Amino acid sequence: MKISKKVTIPWHIIFIFIIFLLIFPIIFAIGTSFKTLQDAYNNPLSIFPTSPTLENYKVFFESLPAFKVTLNTFIIASVVTIFKVITSFLAAYAFVYFIFKGKNVLYFILISTIFLPFTVTMIPNYLVISKMGLGNSIWGVILPQLADAMGIFLLTQALRSISISLIEVARLDNMSHWHIMKDIVLPLVKPAVTSTGIWFFITSWNEYVWPVLILKSTENFTLPLALQMYISSEGGTNFTVAMAVSVITMILPLALYLIFQKYIIGTFISSGIK
Amino acid sequence: MKEIHFEDVKKNYGQTEVVKGLNLTIEKGERLILLGPSGCGKSTTLRLIAGLEEISSGKLIMDGKVVNNIPSGKRNVAMVFQNYALYPHMTVKQNITYALRMKKVPKKEIELRLEDALKMLQLNGLEERLPKDLSGGQRQRVALARAIVKQADYFLLDEPLSNLDAQLRVSARKELVNIHEKYKQTIVYVTHDQIEAMTVGNRIALLNEGVLQMLDTPENVYHHPSNIFTAKFIGAPPTNIFTMKYQDGDIHFGTQSFSLSPEWAKKVYEAASSQLVFGIRPEHIELSTEPQALHATVKSIENLGAEYAVYLTFNNEEMIALSSHKYWPLNQQVYVRFKMEHIHLFDKATTNSIGYPIAYKNKSMSLN
Repeated sequence: MKISKKVTIPWHIIFIFIIFLLIFPIIFAIGTSFKTLQDAYNNPLSIFPTSPTLENYKVFFESLPAFKVTLNTFIIASVVTIFKVITSFLAAYAFVYFIFKGKNVLYFILISTIFLPFTVTMIPNYLVISKMGLGNSIWGVILPQLADAMGIFLLTQALRSISISLIEVARLDNMSHWHIMKDIVLPLVKPAVTSTGIWFFITSWNEYVWPVLILKSTENFTLPLALQMYISSEGGTNFTVAMAVSVITMILPLALYLIFQKYIIGTFISSGIK
Repeated sequence: MKEIHFEDVKKNYGQTEVVKGLNLTIEKGERLILLGPSGCGKSTTLRLIAGLEEISSGKLIMDGKVVNNIPSGKRNVAMVFQNYALYPHMTVKQNITYALRMKKVPKKEIELRLEDALKMLQLNGLEERLPKDLSGGQRQRVALARAIVKQADYFLLDEPLSNLDAQLRVSARKELVNIHEKYKQTIVYVTHDQIEAMTVGNRIALLNEGVLQMLDTPENVYHHPSNIFTAKFIGAPPTNIFTMKYQDGDIHFGTQSFSLSPEWAKKVYEAASSQLVFGIRPEHIELSTEPQALHATVKSIENLGAEYAVYLTFNNEEMIALSSHKYWPLNQQVYVRFKMEHIHLFDKATTNSIGYPIAYKNKSMSLN
């Protein structure tokens, strides 16, 4: 079916408007991060600074151990992502290819944890981590997040799409599970694994509530916590600096998204999650 | 080149029994066809040999050893799947050699076997292609090549030709027979296509609802079916089955009757069945306008290309006969003759054949 140009033009206008709405805050943040506070108050909606300055970035790097904060965020997100991908992949492999008693019940229980609100597990996790002496440590942030039911779900769906006869051929060839996983299953679900990993990374990178509970001293902070310093009553409202921190915070996730976007979109479409 | 032996093998999925006490010996070096309608248990039987399904009860013996608990990887079986199951991310060459590389077969040996298989299956020049860039026929040949290079003792094929178009199927099955003539592995071949079964098989094992119906050469399965199911399943159009009464050497169909030959009469006497069912293949019915003992009414005529299928009503039952021409008067009576040497008689209660007066060799094949 061919859609005539007359129909597509209004649609394009609507889409451009929606995209503008979505992108505006990002452009606003970038523009404002180069403004002086004075400039930002005088022309709040203009995206171009009248006299561009790096002062806001300087303030961030001087008032906080900015490099350490970025590194903390990166370490937490990386360790969490690597572990979540490994545990999710192994669990998904077992759920799809192993036959064991109680498999379906176990899978059901696991998946149902996706629907538990974070606040339900927050207090028990906090108590356990404090008792372990990991309060105010990035490892305290990492530890409860090394496995993820959502990841298991996404990868189970991906593995199920592989024809079972491929695995059977490998079994007939006396292939070990290690080789089946490494040589056959993993290459076939690489897009799904990659996009799940990126999703884990971005979620962890942006996380606020859990780190704020655990991390107390500024040298252990993550970027979202640093950001909060400049917009709360504690540090006063210095929102041009907050915008500079925002820009630093979004660079890496945006870069990851741009590099891997075809994988990400494909996986979320095929798993029925949008 | 080793034999496979089923001893009262059963397979259930929960309450459903898929294979019901199978006793079957697959001899070394033969091409045995597992034939039957969908859901008859033929694929399950094949998967039991491969070790991809567990046996519920009974014994599966391969090369003299009970293999019930031996994992599939240790049975030295090569299998070709219906969907070919080629690894989509590996090239043709990688697909064919993957198992060998994993088994640490020396590189030279791998090259040799690959070369051999590529040549035999005319896959030269396609080594670096991915499966998605191959045609259906090429994929099927790659799957065969991958199975051949393993040099396994047993070769299992699960409807290997069913995804090919009709012309390709004819050449592929010839190719398959040629390859087997060279390698002589024990082949178990699953199909629902009786033409494939007839052309490829040394012997056919016909299954229905998990029960072995007949195990014999293609000729015997066709000409001397062991029961009504076999008679009706093999051959197209299928064997005509009529109710009948036997009395003093005569067969009665309602008011019509004809006399059996003395050999057949003896056979019927020996069988001592209380009630018999009559069977005759469409090509063994002669239609004529000259008066004969039996008659039927022509209902419709179908063009099959080489010949015509004539649908008639005979003693209130449908009868199909094959004829070389189509000039039979519709809705009028024609005369019918059954070729005595080609009739089948079955016991109504057991549905089994009462046997045949002509002695025929039970195994008309010779292996080795």
